[in-house]
Amino acid sequence: MSDEKRYNRFSIYQRVEHILLIASFTILGLTGLPQKYMDSPISIWFVAVLGGIETIRIIHRISAAVFVLESVYHFAVIGYKLYVLRVKATMLPGMQDLRDAIQSLFYNLGFSRKQPKLPRYNFAEKAEYWALIWGLLVMALTGFILWNPIFSSNYLPGSFIPAAKAAHGGEAVLAVLAIILWHFYHVHIKHLNLSMFKGTMSRHEMQEEHGKELEEIEAGQTNPVPDPNVIARRVAIFTPVAVVFMVLGFVVVYQAATFEQTAITTLPLEQLNVQAYVPQTPTPIPPTPTPLPPKPTATPDTTGGAAAPTTWEGGIGAIFDSECSACHGAVAGLSLQTYADAMKGGSSGAVIKPGDPDGSLVVVKMKEGGHPGTFTDDEMALVLDWIKANAPEK
Amino acid sequence: MKNLYRYIVAPLGLALICAALALALTAWTVQAEAVPQESKPDNAYCLGCHSKPGMIKVLPSGEQLYLSVDADDFAASVHTKEDITCVSCHPTITAFPHQPVTAANRRDYTLTYADTCKKCHEDKIKPDGMHQKLMAGGNKNAPICADCHNPHTQPKLKDSNGNVVFIEKAKIAQTCARCHSTIYNEYANSVHGAAAIGANNPDVPVCITCHGVHEITDPTTNQFRLASPKLCGDCHTDKSMMAKYKLSTDVYNTYVADFHGTTVTLFQKNSPDAQTNKAVCYDCHGVHNILNPKDPQGGISIKENMLKACQKCHPDANANFPDSWTSHYIPTPEHNPLVYYVNLFYMIFIPGVLGGMGVFVLSDVFARLRHTFIKRENRKEKEQ
Repeated sequence: MSDEKRYNRFSIYQRVEHILLIASFTILGLTGLPQKYMDSPISIWFVAVLGGIETIRIIHRISAAVFVLESVYHFAVIGYKLYVLRVKATMLPGMQDLRDAIQSLFYNLGFSRKQPKLPRYNFAEKAEYWALIWGLLVMALTGFILWNPIFSSNYLPGSFIPAAKAAHGGEAVLAVLAIILWHFYHVHIKHLNLSMFKGTMSRHEMQEEHGKELEEIEAGQTNPVPDPNVIARRVAIFTPVAVVFMVLGFVVVYQAATFEQTAITTLPLEQLNVQAYVPQTPTPIPPTPTPLPPKPTATPDTTGGAAAPTTWEGGIGAIFDSECSACHGAVAGLSLQTYADAMKGGSSGAVIKPGDPDGSLVVVKMKEGGHPGTFTDDEMALVLDWIKANAPEK
Repeated sequence: MKNLYRYIVAPLGLALICAALALALTAWTVQAEAVPQESKPDNAYCLGCHSKPGMIKVLPSGEQLYLSVDADDFAASVHTKEDITCVSCHPTITAFPHQPVTAANRRDYTLTYADTCKKCHEDKIKPDGMHQKLMAGGNKNAPICADCHNPHTQPKLKDSNGNVVFIEKAKIAQTCARCHSTIYNEYANSVHGAAAIGANNPDVPVCITCHGVHEITDPTTNQFRLASPKLCGDCHTDKSMMAKYKLSTDVYNTYVADFHGTTVTLFQKNSPDAQTNKAVCYDCHGVHNILNPKDPQGGISIKENMLKACQKCHPDANANFPDSWTSHYIPTPEHNPLVYYVNLFYMIFIPGVLGGMGVFVLSDVFARLRHTFIKRENRKEKEQ
């Protein structure tokens, strides 16, 4: 078994390409899907493990750049094979692949006894390859729009950006599930096909999956190797084109990665320019919004005559009553409610000295200011006159 | 039997009565000693003067200190109802003439009462609150309890069941306005403020709805920013409340589903204190000056206004750019048709492709099982 003849399938370059694809595709999926399904606890956990959403986005973009650069290289290699070496374009799909697919299905279901003999790249592999190309185009295009939304909206309607996001997510789900269902089944589960890592395949595997190619190999039908001179001439044309293409590809990827900063970097947060402490001025007196009742003014009792009141009963008592007795009644160490109380004085002695207004404490207190209740100027004049006139009761 | 009564029960009863009397007497004297006879004046004594309007003391700074207390308001206040006396809070003022006021200005006078409320309301003192932190840092303008709650007029805020009674929302905003007047003026013109102040609407937020009451958090922190969409979402996802104003409750989900919202939500969940410039609700809608999006002046449903909001973070954004935001609509053929049809395409395309692949894979599995079975049958036949 071990010395069974092995058939070359993939060159070392192709195998390296495959490893690059595995790495970038896996990382893209792992860092992209948690962004699409961000409210799932698994996503939240995974984002935290990888160092937060900003880190994940950077990893995703690096992987995307690797994926696209790998594709640029791949297209250059295809150009070399098709133009310089003129190998058969064995990956192109055709009607035969459809027939093979249908026949395989019939065979599998037992409707047909004949197992189709499959070419170098069978329909399953072609489906996967072209799905990858389709995915690459969709993902690279929509990814570019998402990476550079402001640039993109210069040339496209703004609604293309959320649409690109929807397509990027939908295509991602399709790609990941297709890889799991189609690729994993065919090369891991059905039987473990290691040709992508070893580079070769056994005769038995060839019979089962590439029967037609095996027949061609055994019939000696191999790709004719062109004349070295012809190759040299073609290389002379191919090399500059390939170099330009690859440099262009690299520049585009580099531009896409560095083009726009506001959409991806964390600009310093513009602090709200609000002055928080701006007190209302002037502070209202009273400090409550309650409106004050109009201040009662002493209306001197003028019933006794037209002359100014010069006696306690003639009006001075009313002034003391309205201005003072609220406090100087029961409390405050002095009562000014009656003529007798007023003349008696309080805890600081007499407050009214008949004939001596300036020596009367009541006048001194009023002139000092700062006393809770105050006489109006008119009231003050009347009280002064009354004391000068020896403060009569009647 | 009589002897028993005479010699035991009667003296014992007498002794008990005497003991009870003696006890009562000592209890009474002890109590009498506890309250010195010089006594504290009752409220009526203080109100004898202080209910008189217009009592003003001029402080050394030239400011006027208002000394009057409205007797009716005071009678209706929670403190009168709970039998709190004037001297409970003004313990140094027990007689006339009063101890002289030493404060040089009104602020210093107010601050002499900084710890007064703590005696009964310890639970409301939140050292982590913004105001308390400022005060601890020596800022004299930081409010004490009495700056917001006038203790002479403060009504009871809770009913007998302990529920907060509805008070006029405008009053709350106006209370904050005493120190935050420019913010109040912005708020008063906003869709929320106009409803609170103009229409006394019970649903709209006032200052304390978002900022808290006694434990006001610093609104300039990263935490506050990252948690803010939930704050808005609390009301804006309330179906019954939003139905009254015909407002969509999809605003939060559609925000979270978008790039900004996804980032902010993940930041909030993974590292709540991370700094981000990704837009939160108030970056586009405004903070205190939130307008109705359809407001003809500044409403952000008008594209030019939205563009200005975009340009705050994306200065190069052009007139197409605002359309990249789905305006809180779940995609439908009317709103965001392109997104809707892309989603529809993948809803058909994904099961279509995977279904086709699945048919092949299952047929292959079936064929392999069948061949294994046939081989085994053949082997059995040979053995037989």
